[in-house]
Amino acid sequence: MPLLLLLPVALAMGGHMQSWRRKSLWLALSASWLLILLGVFPLLRLAVPARPRARASQRWPRWLDAELLQSFSQPGELLEDGPQPPQAPRGGSCNWGACFDASKCRDGGFKVFVYPAAGPISETRRRILASIEGSRYHTVSPAEACLLLLLSSDTPAGQCEPVPAQWDEGRNHLVLNLHPAPCPRTVQLGQAMVAKASPTVDTFRAGFDVALPLLPEAHPLRGGAPGQLQQHSPRPGVALLALAGERGRWHTAGTNSSACPWDGHCEQDHGPKQTPPGALLPSATFCLIPGRSPDAWHFLQALQAGCIPVLLSPHWELPFSEVIDWTKAAIVADERLPLQVLAALQEMPLTRVLALRQQTQFLWDAYFSSVEKVIHTTLEIIQDRIFGASARPSLLWNSPPGALLALPTFSTSPVDFPFYHLQQGSRPVGRFSALIWVEAPGQLPLKLIQVVAGSQHCAQILVLWSCEKPPPPRWPKTAVPLTVIGGHRKVDFAFVVWQSFPERMVGFLTWSHFWDETRGGWGYTAEKANEFSMVLTSAAFYHRYYHTLFTHSLPRALRNLADETPTCADVLMNFLVAAVTKVPPIKVPYGSWHQEARPPLAPGSPGLRQEPQPAAQDCINQMAAAFGHMPLVSSHLRLDPVLYKDPVSVLRKKYRSLEKP
Amino acid sequence: MCASVKYNIRGPALIPRMKTKHRIYYITLFSIVLLGLIATGMFQFWPHSIESSSDWSVEKRSVRDVPVVRLPADSPLPERGDLSCRMHTCFDVYRCGFNPKNKIKVYIYSLKKYVDDVGVPVSSTISREYNELLTAISDSDYYTDDITRACLFVPSIDVLNQNTLRIKETAQALAQLSRWDRGTNHLLFNMLPGGPPDYNTALDVPRDRALLAGGGFSTWTYRQGYDVSIPVYSPLSTEVDLPEKGPGPRQYFLLSSQTALHPEYREDLEALQAKHGESVLVLDKCTNLSEGGLAVRKRCHKHQVFDYPQVLQEATFCVVLRGARLGQAVLSDVLRAGCVPVIIADSYVLPFSEVLDWKRASVVVPEEKMSDVYSILQSIPQRQIEEMQRQARWFWEAYFQSIKAIALATLQIINDRIYPYAAISYEEWNDPPAVKWGSVSNPLFLPLIPPQSQGFTAIVLTYDRVESLFRVITEVSKVPSLSKLLVVWNNQNKNPPEDSLWPKIRVPLKVVRTAENKLSNRFFPYDEIQTEAVLAIDDDIIMLTSDELQFGYEVWREFPDRLVGYPGRLHLWDHEMNKWKYESEWTNEVSMVLTGAAFYHKYFNYLYTYKMPGDIKNWVDAHMNCEDIAMNFLVANVTGKAVIKVTPRKKFKCPECTAIDGLSLDQTHMVERSECINKFASVFGTMPLKVVEHRADPVLYKDDFPEKLKSFPNIGSL
Repeated sequence: MPLLLLLPVALAMGGHMQSWRRKSLWLALSASWLLILLGVFPLLRLAVPARPRARASQRWPRWLDAELLQSFSQPGELLEDGPQPPQAPRGGSCNWGACFDASKCRDGGFKVFVYPAAGPISETRRRILASIEGSRYHTVSPAEACLLLLLSSDTPAGQCEPVPAQWDEGRNHLVLNLHPAPCPRTVQLGQAMVAKASPTVDTFRAGFDVALPLLPEAHPLRGGAPGQLQQHSPRPGVALLALAGERGRWHTAGTNSSACPWDGHCEQDHGPKQTPPGALLPSATFCLIPGRSPDAWHFLQALQAGCIPVLLSPHWELPFSEVIDWTKAAIVADERLPLQVLAALQEMPLTRVLALRQQTQFLWDAYFSSVEKVIHTTLEIIQDRIFGASARPSLLWNSPPGALLALPTFSTSPVDFPFYHLQQGSRPVGRFSALIWVEAPGQLPLKLIQVVAGSQHCAQILVLWSCEKPPPPRWPKTAVPLTVIGGHRKVDFAFVVWQSFPERMVGFLTWSHFWDETRGGWGYTAEKANEFSMVLTSAAFYHRYYHTLFTHSLPRALRNLADETPTCADVLMNFLVAAVTKVPPIKVPYGSWHQEARPPLAPGSPGLRQEPQPAAQDCINQMAAAFGHMPLVSSHLRLDPVLYKDPVSVLRKKYRSLEKP
Repeated sequence: MCASVKYNIRGPALIPRMKTKHRIYYITLFSIVLLGLIATGMFQFWPHSIESSSDWSVEKRSVRDVPVVRLPADSPLPERGDLSCRMHTCFDVYRCGFNPKNKIKVYIYSLKKYVDDVGVPVSSTISREYNELLTAISDSDYYTDDITRACLFVPSIDVLNQNTLRIKETAQALAQLSRWDRGTNHLLFNMLPGGPPDYNTALDVPRDRALLAGGGFSTWTYRQGYDVSIPVYSPLSTEVDLPEKGPGPRQYFLLSSQTALHPEYREDLEALQAKHGESVLVLDKCTNLSEGGLAVRKRCHKHQVFDYPQVLQEATFCVVLRGARLGQAVLSDVLRAGCVPVIIADSYVLPFSEVLDWKRASVVVPEEKMSDVYSILQSIPQRQIEEMQRQARWFWEAYFQSIKAIALATLQIINDRIYPYAAISYEEWNDPPAVKWGSVSNPLFLPLIPPQSQGFTAIVLTYDRVESLFRVITEVSKVPSLSKLLVVWNNQNKNPPEDSLWPKIRVPLKVVRTAENKLSNRFFPYDEIQTEAVLAIDDDIIMLTSDELQFGYEVWREFPDRLVGYPGRLHLWDHEMNKWKYESEWTNEVSMVLTGAAFYHKYFNYLYTYKMPGDIKNWVDAHMNCEDIAMNFLVANVTGKAVIKVTPRKKFKCPECTAIDGLSLDQTHMVERSECINKFASVFGTMPLKVVEHRADPVLYKDDFPEKLKSFPNIGSL
């Protein structure tokens, strides 16, 4: 365009000055050429960057003789690189292969010995020791232990404990520093692993040490406060960002805080609300945590509050980073690009925000909410290292219900567990095993067996004969199902329902729990009510994994309690499943069959209204204490067949036997 | 432009006034100038358009013709690598700046030939693999040719193999690069580090702060979160054609194919072979074969000759032992054969271990435990082995099989460190495609029962049935948990009634006017929705009792990630027509609920409006039908879960509007609905709907129990 414009100007100039025409013409001509040269080239230069295609030639060239280039290695070179003898571990630093003797763990399993406290100890420490001693890992003999655990002292600065007798240069030792220890022990550590709160990135030996969260002094020993997240999505109008302030305070910044400086001066400039005293948890979608080490304990607060932690170049290792995929729950960004981080947070898609928020809550609840969980997680990490190939896959650590509740001894394949069918794109297998516990002989168990065997989904029946009299010589032929009572459809329906909810218990008879003001404790009842929170395991579908979990994860004291009182076993199973799933069990209609074929758990009790005995009433409180909280959740609904009791022809109904009065 | 037009009009008027001789003169001059201009224009613009249409035609050069750079003996030498480097200390992130695409910009220095003082080359100019690598980067989205905008610099100095270069002179060559600046933001690729006799595990060339993508790092030399551990590329990946072999049991349980093993290790392996017989095979190089390329492809055991790498496909586990170097090219061959690598190399940092979960594809055994290898491997269940075989093959396909794959994975890792909020997830790195397709990641995965106090927001979509609308509002307002009522006024030609005419209810009532009469307005994520629970309700649904609605909300609280509705519908496969069919008869199964009255999470409004696949949203608006089926598809697809039908209700009966109900029964209506299902199933590429046989009723529904003690007594008619 500029070219066309210039030319007429030159002509017009020539036309007007007739007397000097030759001179002026040449002048005009040269002027126009000059203008062209001067004007066009800069314009062209400007135009070029706007056309990226024109610069394609600047790419890496396609060499004419590319085919002739030599390979980076000679054919034999990759094979013959000079074999070297085994190397001794380098001094100074340790790694798992070099400094841990896993052979001690092979025979006896993962057993942990804890050094008893020498001298007076604090209450917290005593309770931590008690908690480890009560756990399933504990052994009293240091000789059979695979891991020796030394709980770092909380003595004042400078005073170090004497090195224990079985120290052996720290081999197979774990030094547990729950709170930053003042004792400079690094010289004596030798081959011991260190589990400490928020270690600096430089001293942390990945795959050998364990990074712990920085726990506040008053962290609950077990149970622990549940996460603060009450809904999946952020509440409308909630602040986008909270900044970690002094002494555990949080400052919330408005959503339009793009000009907000990042060094903590924000509150003066924009006057954001301070979180009210007492409520120390931040209320925002994102929580900004600077990288300095003292800020590490803001991190746990943010997790509990369901506020997505945004860590700016943390100089400390994130807790349990060996197994926890923190990219799913937090954002680690570079502190040097604050505006870029802010822009990214503001533009983050809702889907990602939802996922991050939920993951913070899951992680808090699974690994951080109590001291006991932190210690067990530490031990499980070390156990997974010993298992090597049979350790838990990452999915088990990073999705609900978490690794403490997904035992690798059961299986390492996610499809075997009831929790991961969606992520794996799989379905529960279409068959079940029936486990029948017979306490008193008689006609009822035999009938029950027949009923169960009549289900098309039944794969096998196991009978636990648990009474004084010998078992009868003749059992019903279950290979050829004899449908004596037309009740097998109930079993079918319940099983089909269970397939939709494989992680829950699906049962017929229900109890509900309640808070008894008069006694100041929990109680439960079998009365018919508008809600329920437990199903009786005497007739219930649940994943066989819960048997493994029941046997291997519960403290011995609780299992003893269940062995003593049968109803307590029911309560305990419901506690366990509810603690894992965090949702209520499922009730299905039971029709007429139960009155006839229910295993006589408590002989003489009037029909279905089996009221828990007074002795059993107390076990719910003992369990609530042992769990640290009340895990049971109430439900208001029952799942019925779609046409249940609808006024249509019975012939249309698939589960018609359920409707018989 | 305007100016030129003006002058062109005046021009002709000027010329006739002159003498003819002059006119010719002027015209000649004019045409000369014009020709000159055209020529100039051609010269300026033409060549560029040629270049841009055929990218490489001008750059056809030979590697031998590249400029030669003479390095004086005393030219500066970079310092040795700084072991304490981390991204936030040694990497200049300001160069990466703000980038809307969250992609780093990578610059490649042009190729030069470096010679020392006396003219002896410093190294061979460039290897085939490094040329491939730079080509891959240059062809990728990361590439920029503008050195001032680059965030990462890749020298064209080839250091893939330390044995082919002179260490000091190469370092000098690096130091004189135009943007070297102590190596900040420079990335070097090296696969064969170290040299005899010590074989360092990282490149010996002093490189100051430069990042190293190295094959064969040990934990002592690897700077966690700064360096990138890469595989040693196996040239056999392209030279040999090896069809994929599925997982499953194979002839040999354990195989060792490496030739250069330390005698001590070979003894250990041979002891295993002696103990376990046929299932263990330890191969060595063939002594009686002539040297040359063929020897690389053959392995021998006693007098038996095996083809390599084909023999790897006959084994379940393959040993990858440390040689002088930790990184071994055999790892790539083993993965490709779907053989599970047994890695016996203490302190070896596995390739891409920052993002790849090697536990899923390999077994790592400490060197000390070599004699126990067999028993360790036997304790792994068969199903897990097959999973690992599949995973091994997938790792090779995605990250090992070509130089390009290695280069792009390396850049992706660095990119994810710089833009962590846009980083690729664990699943994307590690899950094989088959798992990625089959799996569903529920967006509301946290088991959570929202507090009852939050309540729900009712959204009533209305056009002009004001009387019926007011009745619905009055009925719904009786539900205890209702917290807000939102009326979506979908009629642009008529104003909503005046404020004073609306029913007086105890909760806030808001009217939203829409710009267009669209069905999808019902599912818009309005800012007014403050609760998580949404009740979508039509303006003619007056038969639902307050108990039924309240119970529906309670059920939603227990299943906040599902659609909870009243009348259920089913999709069936029509074997005769070979397509899906919509079913509203009395069936024992349910796969959809009508959204004439349904509870769901407000997040699904966001998904419906912004993330609905294909053209479904527009299609629904154009056909004015099936928005409920679309919602059922959407929710089932993202959550992988079935709907919950509540209470026995079979249809929405409304006395005043029999016409609508009549339409529902209409045969053409059913045909249309079936069409919708088929259309949506083809857009989704699958049938996401899940069929269940249950519905939710109150615990004591139809139980022998006093009605007045029931929480939800008024549940009822069909």
